[in-house]
Amino acid sequence: MNSNVWVLTFADSISIATTLILASLGVILTERSGIINLGVEGILLMGAVTAFLVGDGTHNLWLALLLSILVGMAMATVHAVLTISLRSNQIVSGLALVIFGTGLSQFIGKSVEGKSRPVQINPLKLGALADIPIIGPVIFGHDTITYLTWVGALVASLYLSRTRAGLVLRATGDAPATVDAQGVSVAMIRYIHTIAGGALIGLAGGWFMLARGTAWSQAATTNGIGWIALALVVFAAWRPLRAIGGAVLFGFTLQVPFTLQGQQINILPPAIVQMLPYIATLLVLVALSTPRARRLLGAPKMLGQPFVRDER
Amino acid sequence: MIVGRTRIEFEPRLSPNRWLLLAVPVASIFFALIVGGVFLLAAGHSALGTYSSLLSNGYTTFDGATRTIGFATPLICTGLAAAFAFRMNLFNIGGEGQMYLGMIGGAWAGIALADYFPKIVAIPLVLIIGSAAGALWVFVPAILRAKMGTSEIVSTLLLNYVALNLVNYFIFGSRGFFRDKSTSFPQGRSVSSNARFGPFGTTNMYPTVLIAIAMALFLYWFIKRSNYGYETSVLADSPNTARYAGMNATRLTLSVLLISGALAGLGGAMYVVGPAGKIDPGLMQVGFGYAGIVVASLARYNFVAVVITAILFAGLRVGGAALQISSKPVPIAIAVVLQGSVLLFALGGEVFRRNRVHIRRVEPVSTATKVAS
Repeated sequence: MNSNVWVLTFADSISIATTLILASLGVILTERSGIINLGVEGILLMGAVTAFLVGDGTHNLWLALLLSILVGMAMATVHAVLTISLRSNQIVSGLALVIFGTGLSQFIGKSVEGKSRPVQINPLKLGALADIPIIGPVIFGHDTITYLTWVGALVASLYLSRTRAGLVLRATGDAPATVDAQGVSVAMIRYIHTIAGGALIGLAGGWFMLARGTAWSQAATTNGIGWIALALVVFAAWRPLRAIGGAVLFGFTLQVPFTLQGQQINILPPAIVQMLPYIATLLVLVALSTPRARRLLGAPKMLGQPFVRDER
Repeated sequence: MIVGRTRIEFEPRLSPNRWLLLAVPVASIFFALIVGGVFLLAAGHSALGTYSSLLSNGYTTFDGATRTIGFATPLICTGLAAAFAFRMNLFNIGGEGQMYLGMIGGAWAGIALADYFPKIVAIPLVLIIGSAAGALWVFVPAILRAKMGTSEIVSTLLLNYVALNLVNYFIFGSRGFFRDKSTSFPQGRSVSSNARFGPFGTTNMYPTVLIAIAMALFLYWFIKRSNYGYETSVLADSPNTARYAGMNATRLTLSVLLISGALAGLGGAMYVVGPAGKIDPGLMQVGFGYAGIVVASLARYNFVAVVITAILFAGLRVGGAALQISSKPVPIAIAVVLQGSVLLFALGGEVFRRNRVHIRRVEPVSTATKVAS
């Protein structure tokens, strides 16, 4: 077999990882503030269908991505109002977003179902760099958003570990009462980061549609990537830079079935191969369940707990 | 909470308000219909026309109502499955996959075993094996949760995609045991006639719906009256109290998740015993497992309320399906949009049911003194 195929597979995994990195950065920001947003899958689908529809209407790539960001923010706002202000159950609210997003993306996407994507994100032309064997396609064969995503992960990492605002954010997830005693509004911090997280997840959906998708089809678009992103956050121990490594790994498991199919390698039936990313993710979760691993992980301590100041 | 110059305070209600118990769901449905209406209008459909045909096709005609009740059968089971786990704060969102496994297990028993038994034994056997398959599918997440405290949310969910591909493999990807080999069209092999119920008369209702309703009533009684029900309620409200009282939290957690999986599996097996009679990938188009979560949440994890909510929800879907066969088809996804919105509004409404909400103006200090003097 051709070694080139595997270089391309690896390059594709890095590319597909962009969605996972963006979505898990969004989840990390949200969860670091103490809010669980399980609605990722629904927000991804809405981001994807928005990018498709806006692209179809205007043929403007950047406008399409901008609107998928706004839609992601709008959906995260619904979650924020329900869980932060109205103190609803975060799990159920997130699931409601998934169901709502699945239904709505299918409904508004009906008119363009099966149409091929109107605009697409193309890899940057980096000239000679892209021609370097192996490293060329793997590192220098990507598009603007992918590179921005890498920078974004670095910025998010610095934000969390090196800035005062990042410190307050981490404190909000671990000990909201302390933050409150310092005179900082816990609700405000949670709103800001839940909505910012929604923006990133919306962009992840929009990018996925215009860079990786071919035609709009609700059932085939995200295919559970949102849930893999949630598992990835656990894997990355809520740290942005580790999310990159994890995303490439998960991206690889998502890409391998296509390569095997494309190469007509039929060691396993396609339906079985399609299970592998989910089984791999589950195995990672199992491995992370040992007490030792859990100590190292350090999830935000008050994750999922509404903050109610003891008034009066 | 302070918004601008108004201050919003939540004061927990000490006694439940019976009026709100009804008003919150009704208002949620009303607002969800408005949201759905906005999208219908934006897509160029008539909102009122769509809703009235939804109502007649799903609920108010004899054909619609019986179709709805028949369709609701697996949904009652997945709703019970979700309610049973969620009331314990165990978020089993793998009902979808557990239901597929119930269908696979039920079909296996229906093909391999049912011929050797009379109908009265064969049908319960199919249902039990289907339930067992559903329970088996949640076993790994359940063990992880009970023994090591790993969140069951993502693990149960990931298995849905594995189960989906498993069904695809049996029907589309291979020509094995479950596949009808007499035709090149990919479809499931029919189970023995011993393993099947006929419908009531000419309707689409099968006796399985009675089993589902009986199961709901039994669970309602069981959780209220049994020792087990009491222990799970204590554990749900206060894990520490349960531990001090010497209850075995690990075993309770494990058993609750396994029973939840079995209930979802039962739904899949009922689909085999009733309308399908084989592994039918059509079950995967509906999303009963996910809808079961919505149903359970709206029913506030009350098993009897699950039955009613499931039937209401099934009607949306049945009515939605009828909307597609018209000159200007409305995408069936509108039913899912409505489900999601009802749940979002009901979640928001819950705060009013649980708390008294006070809205006060916050006056700047100087004005306040002026008013006082």
